[in-house]
Amino acid sequence: MTPELQERIEQIASRYPSRRSALLPALHLVQRESNGYVDGAQLAAVAELIGVPVSEAFGVQSYYTMFERRPVGKFHLQVDTNIPAMLAGAEEIVAQLERSLDIRVGETTPDGLFTLSTVECLASCGTCPVIQVNDGYYESMTPQRTDALIASLRRGVLPDLPVQANFGSVCNVLLKRRGTPNATSLAVYRQTGGYRALPIALAKKPAEIVAEVKASNIRGRGGAGFPAGVKWSFLAKNTGKPTYLICNADEGEPGTFKDRQIMEYDPHLLIEGMTIAGYAIGANLGFIYIRGEFAWIAAILEKAIAEARQAGMLGRDILGRGFDYDLVVHVGAGAYVCGEETALIESLEGKRGNPRLKPPFPAVVGLYGCPTIVNNVETLASVPFIVEHGAAAFMHIGTANNFGPKIFGISGHVRRPGTYEYPLGTPLATLLDAAGGVDGRLKAVIVGGLSVPILTAAEAEGLIMDYDSCLKSGTMLGSGGIMVMNESTSIPRVALRAIRFYAHESCGQCTPCRQGSHTVATLLDKVVAGRGTLADLDLVVRLCRTIKGTTLCPTGEAFATPIEAMVTKFRDEFAALVR
Amino acid sequence: MQLTVDGRKIDAVAGQTVLEAARAAGIYIPALCYHPKTGKAGRCRACVVEIEGMRGLKEACAQEVRDGMVVHTDTDRVQQTRRLVVDLLLAEGHHNCISCQANGTCELQEMAYRIGVERPAFLIETEPAPLDVSSEGIVREADKCIQCGRCVLACQNHVVNEVLAFGYRGSHAAVVCDDDRPMGESSCVLCGECVQVCPVGALVLKQPREAKVRPSETVATKVTCPFCGVGCQIDLHTKDNRYVFAMAHEGQWLKQPNRGSLCVKGRFGLDFIDAPDRLRTPLVRKDGELVEASWDEALDLVAAGLKQAKDKYGPDSVGFFTSAKVTNEENYALGRLARAVIGTNNIDHCARL
Amino acid sequence: MAGLATTLGSGAMTNSLEEVLEAKVILVIGSNTTWNHPVFGSLLKQAVKLRGAKLIVCDPRRIDLVDFADIWLQQRNGSDVALLMGLQHIILREGWEAAQYIKERTEGYDEYLKALEFYTPAKVAELTGVAPDDLLAAAKLFATSGVGALYYCMGITQHSHGVDNVKACVNLQLITGNLGVAGGGVNPLRGQNNVQGACDMGGLPNVFTGYQPVTNPAAVEKFSKYWRAPLSDKVGLTLTQMVPAAGDSIRALYILGENPLVSDPNLHHVEECLAKLDFLVVQDIFLTETAKLADVVLPGVSFAEKLGTISNTERRVQLTQPAIKPTGSVRQDYEIIADVAARFGHEFPRTPEALFQEIRDLTPAYAGLTYERIREVGIQWPCPAVDHPGTRFLHSGKFARGLALLSPLAYRPPAEVPDGDFDLVLSTGRILEHFHTGSMTRRSRLLDVLVEAGHVELHPDDATRYGVADGDRVAVSTRRGRIETTALVTDRVAPGSIFVPFHFAEAAANVLTNDVLDPVAKIPEYKVCAASLERVGSGR
Repeated sequence: MTPELQERIEQIASRYPSRRSALLPALHLVQRESNGYVDGAQLAAVAELIGVPVSEAFGVQSYYTMFERRPVGKFHLQVDTNIPAMLAGAEEIVAQLERSLDIRVGETTPDGLFTLSTVECLASCGTCPVIQVNDGYYESMTPQRTDALIASLRRGVLPDLPVQANFGSVCNVLLKRRGTPNATSLAVYRQTGGYRALPIALAKKPAEIVAEVKASNIRGRGGAGFPAGVKWSFLAKNTGKPTYLICNADEGEPGTFKDRQIMEYDPHLLIEGMTIAGYAIGANLGFIYIRGEFAWIAAILEKAIAEARQAGMLGRDILGRGFDYDLVVHVGAGAYVCGEETALIESLEGKRGNPRLKPPFPAVVGLYGCPTIVNNVETLASVPFIVEHGAAAFMHIGTANNFGPKIFGISGHVRRPGTYEYPLGTPLATLLDAAGGVDGRLKAVIVGGLSVPILTAAEAEGLIMDYDSCLKSGTMLGSGGIMVMNESTSIPRVALRAIRFYAHESCGQCTPCRQGSHTVATLLDKVVAGRGTLADLDLVVRLCRTIKGTTLCPTGEAFATPIEAMVTKFRDEFAALVR
Repeated sequence: MQLTVDGRKIDAVAGQTVLEAARAAGIYIPALCYHPKTGKAGRCRACVVEIEGMRGLKEACAQEVRDGMVVHTDTDRVQQTRRLVVDLLLAEGHHNCISCQANGTCELQEMAYRIGVERPAFLIETEPAPLDVSSEGIVREADKCIQCGRCVLACQNHVVNEVLAFGYRGSHAAVVCDDDRPMGESSCVLCGECVQVCPVGALVLKQPREAKVRPSETVATKVTCPFCGVGCQIDLHTKDNRYVFAMAHEGQWLKQPNRGSLCVKGRFGLDFIDAPDRLRTPLVRKDGELVEASWDEALDLVAAGLKQAKDKYGPDSVGFFTSAKVTNEENYALGRLARAVIGTNNIDHCARL
Repeated sequence: MAGLATTLGSGAMTNSLEEVLEAKVILVIGSNTTWNHPVFGSLLKQAVKLRGAKLIVCDPRRIDLVDFADIWLQQRNGSDVALLMGLQHIILREGWEAAQYIKERTEGYDEYLKALEFYTPAKVAELTGVAPDDLLAAAKLFATSGVGALYYCMGITQHSHGVDNVKACVNLQLITGNLGVAGGGVNPLRGQNNVQGACDMGGLPNVFTGYQPVTNPAAVEKFSKYWRAPLSDKVGLTLTQMVPAAGDSIRALYILGENPLVSDPNLHHVEECLAKLDFLVVQDIFLTETAKLADVVLPGVSFAEKLGTISNTERRVQLTQPAIKPTGSVRQDYEIIADVAARFGHEFPRTPEALFQEIRDLTPAYAGLTYERIREVGIQWPCPAVDHPGTRFLHSGKFARGLALLSPLAYRPPAEVPDGDFDLVLSTGRILEHFHTGSMTRRSRLLDVLVEAGHVELHPDDATRYGVADGDRVAVSTRRGRIETTALVTDRVAPGSIFVPFHFAEAAANVLTNDVLDPVAKIPEYKVCAASLERVGSGR
């Protein structure tokens, strides 16, 4: 390793209270500097520099999908083939790439120019199919655009292929600046009403902010819907240890692409929200744990943070109110499970993203063993509104017990897939209309990200999109990622793709999730390939029912619930495939 | 304090887990990833129970007892989960008790037996993984690994040799040595702690495996290690009065100087006791050569040799080297021989060397 | 031992092994812990990794523990007094000392302080090669982190000024108030499973069991009465004195389970001496290098065939049980001794437990121990009564000698330093896979496979200088002898230093070592002598 690289790793390490946290960033850095992969010798050098055993460093490196241990092509083409992408024709794009590059998935062209891989959901569901090329995304890929991309790459040029993403807002809270040019800059953010909540917050006592957020009844937007203010009040007090705030920006739930709208187009909204939240809970350091594939969004955040620091909105003595606070952007490396808060904390500590046994909960023993609050991007981005306009104004939006605005990501078979900010309690029909209506006849819809039970068209009739209504209708609001499927969709193929995703993403810690997901995937594979039996289908259902509630973290439920729903609700379609 | 397990009142002490309290009371709760030395892990899910007032299934290895707690281990839910765990683990690898070194001491076998799994509910075809026989002392069989993580935690946090870790993830997750190389080419120092804690036959000692002696056939006797001064307590396993292998004594491990661990010498270096060149009979020098002799002849010569020097040159012409290798009783006896019988204080041993 | 006994009143490890988990800061000097005491090394690493203890390693070699250390001080071989006193100089200069403790529990402070003046950081840097900044950092970490434990081994004692080294360790622990507290202490790690017991049992020329001096008339009377025999009140000779006196004032030697022909310094000389004896009897389980010289060889039994007690490094008396019934015409070692005694008309007890009863009768520290009490878990002496729980750490509240003694120490270089023809510093010791003279471990199939022959550790710079490649055959010579072995080129040793493990009789390190002794403890200077090296051929 060059001294220059060592110096840069040292610099990264200095940002963290614990040196080990620098392991993921260091591996990213070395990989970027060494033709896209880190071999055993380099790994040992990184391990020694950071001060972790080689065995653990390898455990980390081999856990995250973005870390390569063997050479890859100059351009690493990674095609998202998860369900929204599948519904948008990603499989054809993969076939096209295999043809035009004359390699199979997992291979590298003999000239070393291209490696082709398929990957899990890239959170680009509204602009699928998507191909990640090295650190950037190419979205809304058609066969023509794919040809153009390859042609340009063959010339060694990463082309500029503009994307037209759809969005809309009736609340103007979270997507207020989505269409405003240059909204990532501090100046535009301010001109459009930004950084008004921060001085209001800093003039109050932290407890007052907590009370206001509690009063707003805002429910966590990550998926579980737990009231954020209540979570804050669980924080262990007088521990003699620092308190940390972590923003969960690991957006990985298939069908979900809402958080990136905020981070990519309105980063200061998140920064302001995190600064207020940090002040409220008594933190002096906050982290944004962003999924590794969002490297360029991390750069946008870094830039905005630097600008905010420059302007005295971050750093020492913010706005002269004696509050010290800073933010660190921590980039993940490809692991769905890191969206679970304790796995995220482990990952931020430089470890494998294995969820922890709970209790203790992070509010008591979190990052580095200190009290920690983990909130979703959308939740934290809602905080400035609550502080500036008050809890009452927030509760004016939405319905009882389900207050506030929500970004819905709509993908699949609709005419204008995209992100739409509507009040909680909006009918599904309204949202589908906003997205241009269903393309064809509705067969089924998954309304809360992949982990919630699928609804048949009949069940989706009259569905109201809020936490309580969805639950009443036999599903969950989850992340608000809505995947629409028309009559052309094969549910068994969706189910197989779904379980393959979970089997790929299972951290492998606990038996029912590790082996259960693998077993269900094997059984469904047999069924879809026409080699299955009805007994296999029964076994799938029985396994799913038993696995629920037995796993270490919610991932077991996350696959058992939707797979069980698909197989039972569309049993005839599965049964038609068996021997 | 007291808690109720399956309708039975049992005593427990604060700080104990439900698992510890139940086991102390003789109630069987299977636990494949928990080990006293490595603590709770929450991985295997075999020990889940239902606790009144708590939602869902709870890990008995992680729940601290509370007075008046009511625990159920015999509900359908718990039984189904245990069965699921065994079925999945059996499907995951190639578990063949007939040929397994751990037959009779395997905790998965015990669990399956106890809950009455006569045949696995389903089988998933997998490619057999190769054996890792590269280490001189340990054989690794990945197909028998149940991913409990005991060996990893023990290697990382108990003996802190930091060789074993989990690599990869999901169903590909595997215990690896360093950067996933054969154990014999890794930084392993052969302390054998991983074998000590492995609940199944995934990590076994090579020598007894080759000698076809299973741990279930041996008799263990607690001895003190003959090497350094730590005084490790070893369970010396013998069969038919012959040494077979060594394990750290784990009884009351927290109170033992070695806390249930050994090093390469204590684990693998004891076969010298059976070395072919062990002296089996006294030797005396005749015509310049050492030749076999009877005890009486040898002892008479010793007495004569010492007496001659003592008589001719005085007691201080005789010296004794006692040993840091023999017992206190023997050291005492030799000291008494030197001082009371010969009459000299010329006695010392190799503490200085 | 002598150093500890003089300053504190007791020669044993002061604290328990497990207390390392309670230490906030740990200083390891002259102990390659993970090789020589691997299981305790693990516990020490646990303390650092899981309990957050700070670790300072002082060693001329980059031993494995350095990977876990916050600070590594690479002092020159034999400069330990300067290093330790240098740290103390800084601690007192900065006011980090435990002033109240020094006042209440020690004596000799003024004289000590005067001696300390010499050890300025600049002077110490010159003597040890450790930079003043590193000294300052280590002194600060050690003195200001909370309770500190000090561990040492033969790297401290096997010097011509070994006793001074020990005293320097004691000084450090006294001025920081780390003696007589849990998690602290001056802790020599014993290298053999029953060194502590051999000492406790009076396997020393100056004391009966329990360190009752042979020069104390009351003790002599007590033992004389119990044994019904007249006893000498004259201090005997040490092992390192007896060997050179062989054939001279020593005419007959009875060697039980020792192998001086590999373990003693300057082996050629040892062999010459032993050959001069009128009569040599060796009692062992193997025909060792030493036994081959004997007039009579008596076959005893191995540890696995014995019942009895063994006292570990932390004074824990543990019961060991026979796992195997002896085969062949061998006898229990205590029986053999009793058989010899019987030929002089003395009746010795004929069971281990009966012998242990005599030990208890004669030794107050062992009086409370019974086989039954220690069957499962050993007990640490002093244990004066059957209802006494044993003693976890010594010197609580009061030192065995009353007040502890702070020692004014003068720096003395090693007896032999590199010069002219012999321009390398040779140090000897053990490796992980083998033990002492190798009589046990080299007969282990697996250990013999792991490391089948000896070697010399040589720094890459020196390898280049001597034109030696890794694996080459080399000859190592000193003023006392020459061995041929294999070069192991590694930066574990400092440039200018070489290290030879001493387990291998065919290339015995102790052919080379200097038999100069510490004037008090009579321990040879195994850790430093001057050597030269030359390539003899390729390894293949």
